[in-house]
Amino acid sequence: MPDPIAINVCGLQPPEPLELVLEALDRLQPGQQLIVTIDREPLPLFRILKQNNYDYTSQLRPDYLYEICIRQND
Amino acid sequence: MQRMLSLEQTPPLGVPLRFFLTAPLFAVAAGLLLLVLGPDALLSRWTPALLALTHLLTLGFLGLIMLGALMQILPVVAGVEIAYPEVTARFSHALITIGAVSLSGGFLSGERWLFQLALATLGLGLFAFLTSCWLGIRGSESNNVTLRAVRLALLSLLITAALGIAMLFSYAANIQRLPLPLTDLHVMWGLGGWIGLLVIAVAYQVVPMFQMTAVYPAVLTRWLAPVIFSALTGVALLMIFFDGVYPLSTVLQVLAAIAYLVFGITSLTLLYRRKRAQREASTLFWYLALASLAACAALYLASLALPAMRQSPSFPLIIGTLFLAGFAFSVTNGMLYKILPFLSWYHLQSRITDRSRKAPNIKQFIPEGLARRQFDGHLLSLVLLLAACLWPEIFTRLAALAFTLSSALLLKNLLGAVQVYRRHETALAETKPAPVPD
Repeated sequence: MPDPIAINVCGLQPPEPLELVLEALDRLQPGQQLIVTIDREPLPLFRILKQNNYDYTSQLRPDYLYEICIRQND
Repeated sequence: MQRMLSLEQTPPLGVPLRFFLTAPLFAVAAGLLLLVLGPDALLSRWTPALLALTHLLTLGFLGLIMLGALMQILPVVAGVEIAYPEVTARFSHALITIGAVSLSGGFLSGERWLFQLALATLGLGLFAFLTSCWLGIRGSESNNVTLRAVRLALLSLLITAALGIAMLFSYAANIQRLPLPLTDLHVMWGLGGWIGLLVIAVAYQVVPMFQMTAVYPAVLTRWLAPVIFSALTGVALLMIFFDGVYPLSTVLQVLAAIAYLVFGITSLTLLYRRKRAQREASTLFWYLALASLAACAALYLASLALPAMRQSPSFPLIIGTLFLAGFAFSVTNGMLYKILPFLSWYHLQSRITDRSRKAPNIKQFIPEGLARRQFDGHLLSLVLLLAACLWPEIFTRLAALAFTLSSALLLKNLLGAVQVYRRHETALAETKPAPVPD
């Protein structure tokens, strides 16, 4: 399985975080994970992921940043 | 090759846009009305003219924008869905627009048929909207703090609307009103419940998201809206069943005012502590709104200790101006400068099927210089309106002129954004997609 792609979109103004995540999803290989670090819960992104058959988990880290792990639903 | 993501099965941009473009027209109308009527409109809070003006702002401007926002931005930003959004939007927008015009016309002319028209249209329009919200929220999986506060805001809208409808019914049918403090309850639920709680709910999402602040403290988001709603409920029950201001009622009013003060100060602190501070127009609108809210709450608390303040005829006008023009108007004005470009970008992005293309930079939709100029106009009009509360003979028409021009400029800026959107939408439709590599 290929190594995960990790991107950090903290501190960026909308819609830049969404744009960067969409671009990264374009590069995702089958079975590969995308790990996104972001400073708030990206609810608009979750809708898009659900609609396009991606699985994701969202975790609030102790430093109050969110870590979203995304992979394509097989 | 991966296919492009579909962003959304979202209703067309025209659905929320109709709310956002009609609303400033009501603000312009309110300004023109005050310009024509002059200082006599501000003699007391109960002049028919002031009732007309207030409802042009609360129903026409604030109401339409809040409804439009609920229909589109909350689904996108907070996972709150409205049932049958397209139909509900068209229906409720048309009815509430007609209703707001006829209600204000009714107040100004005293004509019963206008009150009857307002009763029918506002009743139906708000009922349709609230039903659609209820169905959507009931079926929603989300349970974030914004959604919980939105529920309380919608309940407050239901109560406000019911009280308003009851009063309208008495005007329309020319019957004696119920011996209840309907007007005071209507104002309390409308301002402190519907408008206030909805702003709080939306702020939890849009302040961190668009103003780049830290998130609101969990203890605040958990308790603020329920505390305010419970306090208002307590005050209402005491008003209805005990017909007077008991110590308990005053305590509850203090509680609600302090809660709003806490919200204002917390929000101001979040904004002040941002890592990358930017002095955009939308940020300045938030600062102005929160400062007005804090001043309004502080004045209200002071008046509970100083009865002489409450006796002054200017007092309710100042409180109303600070809350409506200072807080609510500033918040919605500023948010439009973020929401409309974001929605335009979002809709354009969803139409792009060619990987080599991107939606335009979001800053293109409303140039910062234009937004900033409109903020200056709005700030001036607020200062003049407050001055008019104290010295109506001197400042009323000046304030009205400033307010009219500022609102017209807001409309112009929003129309500019729509033009940019249309231009890009046409360009996308005309360009053929790039050939797919083998």
